[in-house]
Amino acid sequence: MTAAAVELTPRRRTWSSFRRNPLGVASGLLLLLLALVAICAPLIAPFPEGYGADTSQPPSSAHWFGTDDIGQDVFAQVVWGTRVSMAVGVSASVLAIVIGLLIGVCAAYFRRLDTPLGVLVDLSLSLPVLPLMILVAALAGPSVRTLAVVIALFSWPEVARVVRSQALAIVPMPFVSAAKVVGGSSLWIVRKHLLPGVVPVVGVSVVLTTSRAVLSEAGLSFLGLGDPNSWSWGTILHKAQQSGALASAWWTTLFPSLAILLLVLSTTLLSVAYNDARNHRSDT
Amino acid sequence: MRFIGLRLARGLLTLWFAVTVTFFLVRLLPGDPVLAVADPNMTEELRQKLLADFGLDKPLAAQYLDYLGQLVQGNLGMSFRQSIPVTTVLMERLPWTLILTISAMVVTIALGIPLGVLAATRAKGWLDRVIQLTGVTAQSLFVPSVGILLMYVLGVWLGWFPIGGAVDLDATGLGATLSMLHHLVLPCLSLVFIQLGGYVLTMRTTLIEALGEDYVSLAKAKGVRRGKVVWKHALRNALLPTTTIAGLQLGTLVGGAVLTETIYAYPGIGRAIYEAVGQLDFPVLQGAFVLLAAAVVAANLITDVAYGILDPRVRTS
Repeated sequence: MTAAAVELTPRRRTWSSFRRNPLGVASGLLLLLLALVAICAPLIAPFPEGYGADTSQPPSSAHWFGTDDIGQDVFAQVVWGTRVSMAVGVSASVLAIVIGLLIGVCAAYFRRLDTPLGVLVDLSLSLPVLPLMILVAALAGPSVRTLAVVIALFSWPEVARVVRSQALAIVPMPFVSAAKVVGGSSLWIVRKHLLPGVVPVVGVSVVLTTSRAVLSEAGLSFLGLGDPNSWSWGTILHKAQQSGALASAWWTTLFPSLAILLLVLSTTLLSVAYNDARNHRSDT
Repeated sequence: MRFIGLRLARGLLTLWFAVTVTFFLVRLLPGDPVLAVADPNMTEELRQKLLADFGLDKPLAAQYLDYLGQLVQGNLGMSFRQSIPVTTVLMERLPWTLILTISAMVVTIALGIPLGVLAATRAKGWLDRVIQLTGVTAQSLFVPSVGILLMYVLGVWLGWFPIGGAVDLDATGLGATLSMLHHLVLPCLSLVFIQLGGYVLTMRTTLIEALGEDYVSLAKAKGVRRGKVVWKHALRNALLPTTTIAGLQLGTLVGGAVLTETIYAYPGIGRAIYEAVGQLDFPVLQGAFVLLAAAVVAANLITDVAYGILDPRVRTS
């Protein structure tokens, strides 16, 4: 290793090795593009509503992704769907990360809480989550907020498990004992020593939890539990299923499907690239 | 014996947890369950009678104990919409879901093992890269997307397979069995697609690890043929962690089945869930979850016990 490389901070080193991974960079750019579409949806296409004259048209220059059975533009639906799908994905994931982080760190630091919290996480992880989400979403009534909360409510255990195992490695470290000896409060130790230590692992978790949340949202909306007043990729598929377009109009399902695939695939590849970069495998 | 007892206790604990969580979620969430059964402008008297009929007028703790007591006797309550017991609704559907998920699992394992071996024995080669990338992609797929694509290409364009239902009602005897298998192909394939990636990637990693072990070097040094080393020595040990994946993926499999059955109008539990969502039939949704949770717990128990028999080390830990 050269002298210059030694001076680099770990973060800089991760970044420079990440930049050399074309797949990771491309995934990152694609995610940025999708985020841009989500934010600028009103500038790209008008909100799809009402009835149009051209019903069930295949893709053409006037309607890039074709039209559905009531004449709405599928391109506009996909663009606006990006907004809801990503918003639900990101907010559910943020919520799940916060809960998972708190519970994971508490389980690792307060030994007495470890067993009950561990059992809770194990039990939650061994249940089929989708039917449970369906039940709760149906009871709470369909809305974008319900979806985000329901998905977060059943996604945090995985984050908690990852955080706990990482935090368990930090708790026995000398600096934690030292902080206790000098009279640091538990809250201070958790904030100053444990949280910074688990953040790198959480970085990967955020990305993966988001993609899983997007898939859950799509699944729930596909089953008819989406917000009736807004479009998401799952809602487009749900409407296609209801109108019987599944077997006749391929364009109504192909484009939202591709959007889901692109988002989930790029988040997965991004997290793989980030992990590789952080482990510095390519340097050795 | 002690090992099986412990696993059984854990399974029961999981099941109790599932039942309790859903019970309190259903009762405590906003939304009057009676509104779901009844007209909002019916008389107060009728409303009270309905509440009493469904046992919703008692205190929460009494309702909870009632529910547990009924559950032990296999009673999941009455469907709000169809006025028949939820158990009857679901038990009619259960066999189809079992056929679908079990066949999907068998096909996935039958394809996953050789693909994993192929990737592991050619680690870092181009074939390995292709298998790995495909595996990661497959894990990112949205089940309905795969189902719709297969339905469109193999069912509608090529017309090879039926695109809905589970069996031709007018077929009898052998014809009925063939028709059942014919209807099973597309939904089963959809589930295989989303499951396969996980199996192949795990198989690959554990086999690469096993191939680096001393006993593999010893077998090679003794002059055992390479194929035999891989398939007989290393694979046997790599298979064990793969059993765990089968357990971990059960949740995904069940979720996938719900979505797949919806697309193909396959008359299993998943389709019943989809129909119940449309009708806001909460007892059916709750019962379906409890039943699916029980199935997953039972399957996990079987995997655990099988693992314990195959690998005595697990029994002590």
